Amino acid sequence: MKNLLFFLLLPLCAAMAQETPVAEEVLPDISARSLALELAGAFTNDGYRLRDGFWPGEIEPGRPRYLEVNLFAGNEYWFCAAATPPARKLSVSVFDAAGKRVEFQSYGDGASAAAGFEPDISGKYFLKLDLLEGEKSPFCLIYAYK
Amino acid sequence: MTRTAHVFFLILAAAAFAGMPAHGSMTKEDLASVEKLDAVTIPMPGEFFTAMGKVGQPAWGQYLRSGSPGVTDSRSMIALGLGTLVADGYVAVEAQDGQAIKNIGKEILALAKKLNVSQSVLGRSNSIADFADNNDWNALREELEATQNEVKLDMVDQNDDRLVTLVSLGAWIRGVDLVSGMVTTEYSPAGAKLLRQPAIIEYLMAGIDELPESARNEAPLPEIRAGLVTSLPLVEPEVPSAEQVANLNTTMRALFDRINGSAPTP
Repeated sequence: MKNLLFFLLLPLCAAMAQETPVAEEVLPDISARSLALELAGAFTNDGYRLRDGFWPGEIEPGRPRYLEVNLFAGNEYWFCAAATPPARKLSVSVFDAAGKRVEFQSYGDGASAAAGFEPDISGKYFLKLDLLEGEKSPFCLIYAYK
Repeated sequence: MTRTAHVFFLILAAAAFAGMPAHGSMTKEDLASVEKLDAVTIPMPGEFFTAMGKVGQPAWGQYLRSGSPGVTDSRSMIALGLGTLVADGYVAVEAQDGQAIKNIGKEILALAKKLNVSQSVLGRSNSIADFADNNDWNALREELEATQNEVKLDMVDQNDDRLVTLVSLGAWIRGVDLVSGMVTTEYSPAGAKLLRQPAIIEYLMAGIDELPESARNEAPLPEIRAGLVTSLPLVEPEVPSAEQVANLNTTMRALFDRINGSAPTP
């Protein structure tokens, strides 16, 4: 039930974060990476394999971050990101090599978000990470594939 | 239904109801701000092989490495050789050959010692042996990548950043060597599509170009860079032709053999 509880508690945590700013040192064990790993972990028992590499950084509203990834046709991908308070709402989206938005599955739950994508063409794609609500915060993105 | 299945369906349901974001394109400024990060931008060989496994049913056992990287004191060559070993580790995992992966784990450790980055690898090497004994292939895939990443982190800590690029370069050359060889043996458009990765070649060439001049000119890097230049047009088409795949394989095999000295290749 750990993962399920995590998803049920995420909106609650996000709501609390809106009302009461929580200093990061109060929650030293909840890092953006562990939140992203929790999110991605939901896919691993469905046959997805988790990359060990991750994209850490800081994100602020109105200043989206972009990352290049190189994908293989036929593989299925989930790009999972999470940010810690004061982030409140995050989104992940996928663009092709020309910078055109592609069709992808979108999941968002407060400061955790994911994009599911199955490319028809191998090669370069771009991930966009956007902080839709909240203040400048640490984030982490990881991905899983099968 | 398992807890993970619950979560998985929760995500899929949420995804279905989330709706697609408005259509749009990246601006020139957006494109200029795109970041690249070795640990995420460059796929691991395992990801490549997973895609290849969907296209056909490669007899992975035929592609197991049969020799060790050649003996050398060159740190660049050792880093390149270490990268090729990581790729071969994934082949052993796909072949589900526990002994082969343990042997590769030992060879990775030996090369890491030569580069003075063996401390973190030592624990990983033991884990690799344990997972191999337990036939835990998924854990082995993660462990191989984690091993490579820890080696790279140690290199950065020791101000040996240049070697990071070379590990990625070695792994990519070996991965393309193997997959292009498989597709050459039995050509299919679906297999050829997997080789279309010009951005990775451009990234690796840029990595070589950013090296200090003395490192950039150290053999075999000029030869490898020339091989990448030759390969680039071969992997630009959406579906490389049989001839392009064969030429790519010839180039990558030559680079792999150069990295590994006189080591026999499968």
